[in-house]
Amino acid sequence: MAPVTTVSQVFAAIQGAKAGASAFCTNFFPAQGKLQGWVDRAELLGQFQDRSAFFLRKDRDFWHLYFCAPDVATLRQGIEALPNLKTQRVAVDLVGSEAVLGDLLNALELAGFRRYARLIRLARPGQPTQSQSSSGGEVVGYADKSDCPAIIHLLECSFDRYADQLPTLDEIEAAIAARQVLVVRQEGALAALLYFESQGFTSTVRYWVVAEQFRAHRFGSALMRHYFSAQGVIRRFILWVTADNENAVMKYRHYGYVPDGLIDHVLVNEMTLQ
Amino acid sequence: MKTLPEILKEIRPEFDFSASSDFMADGMLDSFDMVTLVAALDKTYGISIQGTDIVPENFKNLNTIEALLRQCGVQL
Repeated sequence: MAPVTTVSQVFAAIQGAKAGASAFCTNFFPAQGKLQGWVDRAELLGQFQDRSAFFLRKDRDFWHLYFCAPDVATLRQGIEALPNLKTQRVAVDLVGSEAVLGDLLNALELAGFRRYARLIRLARPGQPTQSQSSSGGEVVGYADKSDCPAIIHLLECSFDRYADQLPTLDEIEAAIAARQVLVVRQEGALAALLYFESQGFTSTVRYWVVAEQFRAHRFGSALMRHYFSAQGVIRRFILWVTADNENAVMKYRHYGYVPDGLIDHVLVNEMTLQ
Repeated sequence: MKTLPEILKEIRPEFDFSASSDFMADGMLDSFDMVTLVAALDKTYGISIQGTDIVPENFKNLNTIEALLRQCGVQL
């Protein structure tokens, strides 16, 4: 695989796979800004063959695999021929409704991937005219740049790097600058955080966590109430959560989130499991 | 037959699509919704939107989606 040096290279490869495709399949839905960041930081490799496009994105000690192929059979052949799968840790996400993911799951499993995690998307409507109480918000503040090391440490300790799309230091700094990281500090330490992304009328909770030694102080609920009260313009709240994390799902349901039918199957190659 | 605003309303009932000129920038549709929308348009109008046409520019607002439908032979 070769480094991808321009965003237009990526879009040209996607178009090549789409052209005349009988059953185009992809797991690549890049937002322009994120894609530009990956290219600028030289995190993206690409391989284009037989009207298929494969991309690997570096993330800590493993790679995310993205693909665009004219049909599932071509996809499977292309994946099996990727040399990196034999030597590197690779994770791949398949997003869609459960009903339409069957063939893709099958193709990836035949190509050597194993199911690792299953995430579900939850959604709740926003109520822009009814700002919620932010009681407890007195302990909540916005993160600043000096919180970065503690934020990345808490995220890496609390979430799964293969399944949870953990942000890079650059992404955390950008989120802090955009006032999208709420924190609770106690005794000079980072006790809890709620990291979100808002785009227009939609807001996504990326991470919501209370450090183990600070649990049972209701910091989590203070963060969530503060978050909702500060998102008056938002009409739709969404998030992804591991389906078998019953405790987290229950908490989100308490705040009105319900599954919207979208699933993310995370698969990893054998190297990752060793 | 359902109209385009009705189809969009079924996918994202919480939004007023007629008030937006850029569904993506306004956070009203994401890439996953676009796939759902294409399937709904194919089914409703009996067409098959080509892979090369499934790009954000064609799903930016009501006008661009209607232009795409016309290009696919739909009489609106």
